[in-house]
Amino acid sequence: MTILQANKIHKTYGNKFNKHEVLKGLDLSIERGEFVSIMGPSGSGKTTLLNVLSSIDRVTRGTINIEDHEITAMKEKKLAEFRKHHLGFIFQEYNLLDTLTAKENILLPLSIANVSKKEATIRFDRLAKELGIYEVKDKYPNELSGGQKQRTSAVRAFIHEPSIIFADEPTGALDSKSASDLLDKLSDLNDKLSATIVMVTHDMTAASFSNRVIFIQDGQIYTQLTKGEQSRQDFYKDIMKTQGVLGGVQQ
Amino acid sequence: MSIQKLILRNLRNNLKNYYLYVFALIFSVALYFAFVTLQFDPAMNEAESSVKGAAFFRTASIGLIVIVGVFLLYANHIFIKRRSKEIGLFQLIGMTRNRISCILSVENFIMYFGSTIIGTFLGFSASKFIMMILYKVTQVNETASLHFSWAALIQTLIVFTLIYVLIMFTNYLYIRKQSILSLFRVQSSTENQVKKMSVFEMVIGVVGILFIISGYYLSSKLFGGDFTSITEIFLAMVIILGLVILGTYLFYKGSVSFIMNLIRKQKGGYLNINEVLSLSSLMFRMKSNALLLTIITAVSALAIGLLSLTYITYYSAEKTAENYVSSDFALTNQDSGSQFKAALDAENIAYSERTVDVIQAELNVKDILDVQLEGLNFDPNKMTLPIVSDQDVKDVNVSPGETYLAGYANMLQNFMPLHDRGEVEIIGKESQIPLKYQGMLDEPIISSYFTNGGLPVVVVDESDFKQLQEDRNEGIQKSSSIFIGVDISNHGDIKQANEIFNDMEEKFMERSPHFASQLNTSMNQKQNMGLSMFIVGFLGLTFLITSGCILYFKQMDQGEEEKPSYTILRKLGFTRKDLLRGIKTKQLFNFGIPLVIGLLHSYFAVKSGWFLFGTELWTPMLMVMGLYTVLYSIFGLLSVQYYKKVIKEAL
Repeated sequence: MTILQANKIHKTYGNKFNKHEVLKGLDLSIERGEFVSIMGPSGSGKTTLLNVLSSIDRVTRGTINIEDHEITAMKEKKLAEFRKHHLGFIFQEYNLLDTLTAKENILLPLSIANVSKKEATIRFDRLAKELGIYEVKDKYPNELSGGQKQRTSAVRAFIHEPSIIFADEPTGALDSKSASDLLDKLSDLNDKLSATIVMVTHDMTAASFSNRVIFIQDGQIYTQLTKGEQSRQDFYKDIMKTQGVLGGVQQ
Repeated sequence: MSIQKLILRNLRNNLKNYYLYVFALIFSVALYFAFVTLQFDPAMNEAESSVKGAAFFRTASIGLIVIVGVFLLYANHIFIKRRSKEIGLFQLIGMTRNRISCILSVENFIMYFGSTIIGTFLGFSASKFIMMILYKVTQVNETASLHFSWAALIQTLIVFTLIYVLIMFTNYLYIRKQSILSLFRVQSSTENQVKKMSVFEMVIGVVGILFIISGYYLSSKLFGGDFTSITEIFLAMVIILGLVILGTYLFYKGSVSFIMNLIRKQKGGYLNINEVLSLSSLMFRMKSNALLLTIITAVSALAIGLLSLTYITYYSAEKTAENYVSSDFALTNQDSGSQFKAALDAENIAYSERTVDVIQAELNVKDILDVQLEGLNFDPNKMTLPIVSDQDVKDVNVSPGETYLAGYANMLQNFMPLHDRGEVEIIGKESQIPLKYQGMLDEPIISSYFTNGGLPVVVVDESDFKQLQEDRNEGIQKSSSIFIGVDISNHGDIKQANEIFNDMEEKFMERSPHFASQLNTSMNQKQNMGLSMFIVGFLGLTFLITSGCILYFKQMDQGEEEKPSYTILRKLGFTRKDLLRGIKTKQLFNFGIPLVIGLLHSYFAVKSGWFLFGTELWTPMLMVMGLYTVLYSIFGLLSVQYYKKVIKEAL
C-alpha cells in the first residue's frame, strides 16, 4: 500500500533573473512499512527533497500525497496540524530543546496531540527502554553523549506513532559505534512497529540498513536499489558499486 | 564594496534593529538639554525666591547623566557582542583591529550625534512644555517663555561627547582583547550551562525568599515603637535594605528556578507548549541575568517609592494644612482678629468665628501610653499639652473628671500609640487634677502653634478648666493663650479672603508672629513638593525607559538564541499561534516578575514610613504604581512583537 506519492515535483530557488532549479520533475512512491534511504552527491537536492516531502518546504510545481492527503495544497495551519499527527523527524543536529530534559523533549509531540498523560507515560517507558535511554531520562541534552541525544531524538520521532518518519543525516554527527547502534534500533523499530522511515544520508553503511536506496543526481532519480533477500553485506557492496559510478563530476 | 558603503549599510541595519536605542538616546538628550536649559533660564532665577529651581535642576541633571551613561554603556556592550561575528569576519579578511575600531567609531558617530542633534532640537521645543508642567505642579501663575541658551547647548554637547568617547574606548578595548576565534564563538559562550538543579541552588532559592520576607517584616515594625533610638532605627533600615537587596539577588539566582523546578517536577515530563517556552527558558535565563535584574528591580523600587512618597505629600497638602491651621485662617491675637474681621465685613464676605482659650499644662500620660520610650528624650510623667474647655468645642460635651484628646497627628500616633481608655493627671502649679481618659477625637481644634506641631489637645469640662486656670504654671505658657479661628462660609470667597489676609500680614506680625492661612500653607507645601515630584518624576521616567530598553534588548538576544528551538517546535507541528501564546506567557513572567518584585519592594518601603509624609496612602501610591505598570508594559508588548518576527522566520 502506497503511503507517500510524489508526482513531478519541481523546486526552484531564486528570482526570475537568477533561477536555480534543484528538483526537476521528480516522481517517487513509498510503501507502508518501508525503510528507504535517499543518497546522492552534495548539491544533488537530497535534503531539499526531504524538506518538501516532509512539508517543511513547499514545492514550486507538482503534488505530494501522504496517506491520501495532498499536502502540497494545504494551508500553513493545516500543515502544522498534519505534521503534528502524521510525521516524525530525526535530524543530524539532534534538534533537542536544550532547556528540557530528555523525557520532556520526547513527550513534546504528545502534548500537542492531546494524548493523556497516562498513555504518554506507557508509550515513553516502552520506547525509552527499547532505545536504551530510560536511565538518562531526567538529564538535560548537554549532559548526554551524541549517541544518547540521537536516540532521544529517535524516541521523540516514534512516540506519537506517526505515519512516516523523516531522518536527515541522523548518523552525521555520531561515531561509527553509536551510528550502527542507532541504525540497528531504527531498523528494529521499522520491523516491530512497521513504521515507515525515509532517511537522507551520504554514508553507504547507513544506507545498507534500509530496504531500498534511491540515488538522486541533479534533481532527478538516477537509479534505485532494493535489498530484497540478500544480506546487509551484499547490499552494501551493491550500493558501493552504484555510488562509484554515480560519484564525481560529470565527464 | 568601499568602506563608506559598508558603514552606510551597517548603519541602516542598526537603525532597523535598534530603533528603541535611538529613541532612548534622543529622549535622554532631549530631557538633559531641557533640564540644563531650565537651569540656565533667567525665569528660573525669579522663581528661585519661592522655589530653589536651579540647584534642583543641577542635581537632577547629574542624576540623569548617571542613568543615561550607564544605560548607553550597557546597551553598547550588548550590541558589540551581537556583532562579534561580523567583527571576526572583518579580521579574517585582513582588516586590522584599529581599522575596525575606526569603522565602528564612524558608524556610531553618525548614529550617536545624529540622535544628539535631533534630541537637542526636541529638547528645546519640549523645554517650554516641561516648564509649563513645572508651573502647573508648583502652582505658579506665569506663562512659560524660554530663551535659547548657548551655555546649555555647549554643556549638553560636552557631556554627550564625553559619553561617546567613553563608549568608543570600551569598544576599542573589547576588540583589542578578542582573537578571531573567540569573536566567532562569543555568542554561544554567553549561554550558561543548562544542567540539573543542585541542592545548593535550592538552598539559595529558599534563603532568597526568606530574606525578602524577613526584610518586609522588619520594615513593618520599623516605626512601630520597637526601635526607639535614632541609631536603632537607622541600623534597622540598613539591615532591611541589605536583606531585601540580597534577597532579590538570590531570588533571581535561585528562587525562580527553584519554584519553576517544583512545578516541572509535578508535570512528570509532560509539558505543554506554554510551559515549554516559559518555564524551561525562564529557569535558566533569569539566573544568568540575576545581577542586572536585581539592579533594575532595586532602582525601580526606589523610583516608585520616592515618587509615591512625594506624591503622597503633594496629594495630602490640603489635609495637612487643615490639621496645622484647623480653620481657614488662624490668629492668636485679639486685635489682629478684629482687624481681619472688619476687613472681611468691609468686603461683604460671610464668615464664622471660633475663639478658644488655651492653657498649657503638664499631663501624666504614663498609664495610657502604649510603648516604653526610654531612648527618646521624653518623660511620660510630664508631657506639656494644650488644654481647652469643652464649651469652646462644638458638639462635644465632657463630664467633670473626664477627658478626650483631639487632633493627635497621624505621624506621632505611629511613634506613640495610646490606649483607648485609662487614667491621666493634669499637673497644675500646686495641685493635680486626675481625669479618666475616654478616647480620641479626630478634628483638630486649634492650630499647630499651640500643639507644637501635632501633639493632642486635651479637652476637659468647663469646671475642670476653670480650676486649672486658677492654678496654672506660668512658666510653660505660650506668649498667646487665645486661638481665633475664622472660617469663610462661602467656599468661593476663600481666595479673596486670603488676599486680604496676605495684605494685612505685616500688621499681624507686629502684634504676634503666630498666624496662618490654610490656603497659604497648602500652596507652600505644593510648591515645594511639586518641584521634587517633577524632578523625581522625570528621572523615574528616564530610568523606566532606559531599563525597559535594556530588558527589550536582552529579549532580542534571547529571541535570536532561541530561534533554533522555535524551528524544532514548528517542525514538530506547533503553529505560529501556539508558539506566540507560549511567548506571551514567557514575556508576562520576564517583564512581570521584576515589575511585581519592584512594586512589592516599594509598597513595603512606602508602607513603613508614609505617615511621615502625608495623610493619604492608597490613592497617590496606586496612581503612581498604575502609571509605572502601564509604561513598563509597553516594552513587554514591543518585545512580543519582536518575537512574532523571530517565530515567523524560524521555519
